[in-house]
Amino acid sequence: MTATYALKRLAMAVPTLLLVAVAVFALLRLVPGDPAQLMLGDAADADQLAALRESMGLNHSLPVQFFNWLGAALRGDLGRSLSNDQPVLPLILERFQVTASIVLLAVALAALIAIPLGTIAAWKQNSLLDIAVVGGATLLLSIPSFWLGLLMLLFFGLKLGWVPVIGYVGFGENPWQALLYIVLPVVTLTLIETGVLTRMARSAAIDVLRLEYVAHARSKGLREFTVLRRHVLPNAFAPTLTLLGIVLGNLLGGIAVIETVFTIPGLGRLLVDGIYARDYPVVQGTMLFVAAIYVLVNLLTDLLYPFFDPRVAAE
Amino acid sequence: MKTASLLAGLAAAALGILPAVAQEPLRASLNSDIRSTQPGGNRDANTDAVTLHMVEGLVALDERATPVPMLAQTVEVSPDGRTYTFTLRQGVTFHNGAPLTSAEVLWSLRRYMDPATQWRCLPDLNGRSGIAKVTDMAAPDARTVTVTLEQPAALFLSIIARPDCGETAVLHPSSVGADGAWVKPVGTGPFMMGEWRRGQFVELERFDGYASLPGERNGLAGGKKAQVAKLRFVVIPDSSAAKAALLAGNVDVLSEVPAPELPDLRRSAGVTVMAAPTMGVTALLMQTRDPLLKDARIRRAIALSLDVPELVTAMIGDDAPANASPLPSASAFRSEAQAARPTRDVAAAKRLLAEAGYRGQTIRMITNRRYPNVYDAAVASQAMAAEAGIKIELEVLDWATQLDRYTRGEYQMMSFIYSPRLDPSLSYEMLSGPKDTQPRKVWEDPEALALIGRSMTTTDTAARQAIFDELYKRFMDQVPMVILYNQPDYMAVRRGVQGARPWAGGLTRLWNVSRD
Repeated sequence: MTATYALKRLAMAVPTLLLVAVAVFALLRLVPGDPAQLMLGDAADADQLAALRESMGLNHSLPVQFFNWLGAALRGDLGRSLSNDQPVLPLILERFQVTASIVLLAVALAALIAIPLGTIAAWKQNSLLDIAVVGGATLLLSIPSFWLGLLMLLFFGLKLGWVPVIGYVGFGENPWQALLYIVLPVVTLTLIETGVLTRMARSAAIDVLRLEYVAHARSKGLREFTVLRRHVLPNAFAPTLTLLGIVLGNLLGGIAVIETVFTIPGLGRLLVDGIYARDYPVVQGTMLFVAAIYVLVNLLTDLLYPFFDPRVAAE
Repeated sequence: MKTASLLAGLAAAALGILPAVAQEPLRASLNSDIRSTQPGGNRDANTDAVTLHMVEGLVALDERATPVPMLAQTVEVSPDGRTYTFTLRQGVTFHNGAPLTSAEVLWSLRRYMDPATQWRCLPDLNGRSGIAKVTDMAAPDARTVTVTLEQPAALFLSIIARPDCGETAVLHPSSVGADGAWVKPVGTGPFMMGEWRRGQFVELERFDGYASLPGERNGLAGGKKAQVAKLRFVVIPDSSAAKAALLAGNVDVLSEVPAPELPDLRRSAGVTVMAAPTMGVTALLMQTRDPLLKDARIRRAIALSLDVPELVTAMIGDDAPANASPLPSASAFRSEAQAARPTRDVAAAKRLLAEAGYRGQTIRMITNRRYPNVYDAAVASQAMAAEAGIKIELEVLDWATQLDRYTRGEYQMMSFIYSPRLDPSLSYEMLSGPKDTQPRKVWEDPEALALIGRSMTTTDTAARQAIFDELYKRFMDQVPMVILYNQPDYMAVRRGVQGARPWAGGLTRLWNVSRD
């Protein structure tokens, strides 16, 4: 049953991805600017420009360009970067690993902090603790990520000198160094996502706390901690899980601002650099990849849902 | 106590602090990754800066952007001005240990002249751009190379020395694979290719067999010495992060420091900021085919409404002087005649506007935020022009879009930045031409074009100087644009870094640079 559902959802993703491919291709071509022109700069003459465009395959008609690209993409070849002639798919996978290591860690930490915190705030609704949690969450939610990132960088990197300010080292290369390099981006992202998730967890827990079965559990004489752990937390987690899926899908698509501030060579920076350079294959490939990730993460979220809310499976 | 020491030692070892200090490379920032390691191929300014640490050409540009011998010991020009004879220096070896001979020079030149290489400067040497046409290349003996041109070309040496042409670097054939595909630069420069981690850094290693010219560093020529074992160009796209990295000691040299970061860096103890005017030009372009701006009186009124020296001082202080000439202030051809510029005269501007029948129509000026100086120039000139009753509205675009509009000539006014042109003929050529075939050109004057053409074939320095002075007079008379200044190249270094200096050519040079 679950396998059929998953396959159905995956099949449904095909038109979505096709639509994304068409939209990205069309939008990119609508934006003024020419990769060949950017490469040659203000010194380009018409002949040079035409020759470079020809070598980049940009002189073909748009439908020919699109179907050439799509045909290759279906065979797993997303083309080569116009900026540095690197094959796009390995470039995306390499950058995705970097982004994923930061995002997964940050979202896991944010969930671990936000869900209990939101539930406790809901349990103590309208108390000083609740006001402090809601206030803190709203504050974190309102802070722009680049600003928080820069503050972190200036304070922990520059003033205290605890961690390096720029750069990235892979976990496979030197795990300790890797941790030092990603600690600030992870903490920044964790703080921001904690704000979002805490509010959601609190609101979901408040709804559950008002339900009859909670009152029933209390009337049975269960301890408050048991009520929260056994009856409130699991039921309040389901809506938070949906939000977690959306957040994860969003972030895995690239955390361009964080990556730029902390000089992390991730997927978001690849995309932004690609847009500035009008590197069509990189932007198209990355967007298609991001869309696929989004679909997959949401599918996973949906498949996990019945574990937390058996009513969904029953339906 | 013992435990604390042990923990501190372990932490230091884990951080890689103890063993790393001695081997730590000299680190310089790059605001974006390099495009390739191929000189003059898929390149941008960062690519040029990195590759020119590894490769060298027969000639190179000196401090004032004049070509001087580099791998050539002497350069002789035949009396008819068509044949250049390069005699190679002795004792020069490639990074793989092979000695430099005329065979490698000829191989390199033929490779550049092959359209398949996609060498940026091919149109300038195969006659397509009208600058020069190479008709023959030969190596009569192991130390001599001759290049013959169809016609004399004053720019020939300047072109082959240009950084964006990769200095027409002499490469060892092992730089390409058996299939002709590029592998890595095996050149004669003071550093050799180390590791390139895309999006992160490019690391170069000292070439111990480097044969330096005698004397001091001189532009991209002169004496060169790799003072550090390793050189690392670190990619830091965000300017605030780059500044923080310098202050925290994560990089030693910050090149191309963006203007907004300058005040903080100048106030910081332990950091030295240096500036040198480059050969790039910041200017306000005016579309001479625009229904309104085709009237030279309106263009002149705009120029008269601006207090350019004041505007430049407000923007960059004393880091570079105002310069009205297309020739950069660092150019050897920028004579006294080219320093003349009308002073601000709002009353005269108003008179000219009234004569031309200007009734406060809005003039749209395109600018961008990628280059803060371009944006600042637009804002300041908008305010100054308003005092003369000229209504300018700013349109802020991203750089790619602005470049597209520039190429198509689709603008009324544009605050723009030209990349450095290292020869005076090219400084005028970049803005002059027929708009029907080259809409990007700003100045359309057939007589000026003829003069520029003459300057490209005249090899006599005094005669060329006279041509440029005449061109300047015509340029100031017709006012197709208002040139403001040559943007400075800023470099910030940490205390202990010795020998780093910005250059008019605008490229980071890290040979002869050491760190205490």
